[in-house]
Amino acid sequence: MSAGPAVDPRGPRFAAVVTTVVLAVVLVTGWWPLLAAQTVVFAIGAFAGLRLAPYSVLYRVLVAPRLKPTSEREDAAPLRFAQAVGFVFALVGTIGYASGVTALGIVATAFALFAAFLNAAFDFCLGCEMYLLVRRFTPRTEQTS
Amino acid sequence: MTGSTGLWVLAGTLVAGLVVGVLLHRRNGRIRTTTPEAPSGLPEPVVEALAPGTAVTLVQISTTFCAPCRHTRAVLSHLAKRTEGLTHVDLDVTDRPHVARDLGVLRTPTTLALTSSGRELLRVSGVPKAQELLTALEPHLVPRVERGSHSQGG
Repeated sequence: MSAGPAVDPRGPRFAAVVTTVVLAVVLVTGWWPLLAAQTVVFAIGAFAGLRLAPYSVLYRVLVAPRLKPTSEREDAAPLRFAQAVGFVFALVGTIGYASGVTALGIVATAFALFAAFLNAAFDFCLGCEMYLLVRRFTPRTEQTS
Repeated sequence: MTGSTGLWVLAGTLVAGLVVGVLLHRRNGRIRTTTPEAPSGLPEPVVEALAPGTAVTLVQISTTFCAPCRHTRAVLSHLAKRTEGLTHVDLDVTDRPHVARDLGVLRTPTTLALTSSGRELLRVSGVPKAQELLTALEPHLVPRVERGSHSQGG
């Protein structure tokens, strides 16, 4: 499976800013339907591709036309992996809030916010760079080939 | 009640994010000298990657999911091209994370500078700064003049 064409690196950065704001609002209000919506946004980016990801669409329609075009491109695979990591945390958070286990909801949302904030403020993609760390805690599926 | 708890967690998360972000930013590209490991401790793909003829091999540990790896590859291959006695190898460990585990690498890109016998000189996490790296490696690049003069002792 190809991850899709490389993208303008400012798109994911914009998406990270929006994600940070959304998750911050979720934490303060505890309004889980918003977190559910963010979970869907993560899912689209991770599993359907960045072209369809809502915040990327928003970037292309609203932001990109106002910026100077850039020839810089960023690979899609790391970004989609990071979206998948975000999806897991947002999903756990939604389940936590919706089922009344608010502490779980808060903790999972905080983790997702932490990663989104690092990406927005420092351009550091936690999900991308921590792939090896993630693999360490997942059972090995294929070892020999 | 949820509101105030959430507010505190939000503040805590942002502060933690700031601290970690600054630390990561500082550490990015910093050269760390490591305790040399026995050559036998190196995973096989790394040993295979060592260039026998050159003084120092830069082994870059990458994954498919690593955005700065591409940038690092560009910096290092350019540096190796214009530096005698230096080679650069990009090792993609996406499907063999045990290689990274054996090396104690948690984050990509991490670059290891190894001698031809597999001794680790230093390692760099994040995108290396070419000039700093070159300065640190220079003492190890010089003795290429007396190549082949020593027999290998066991």
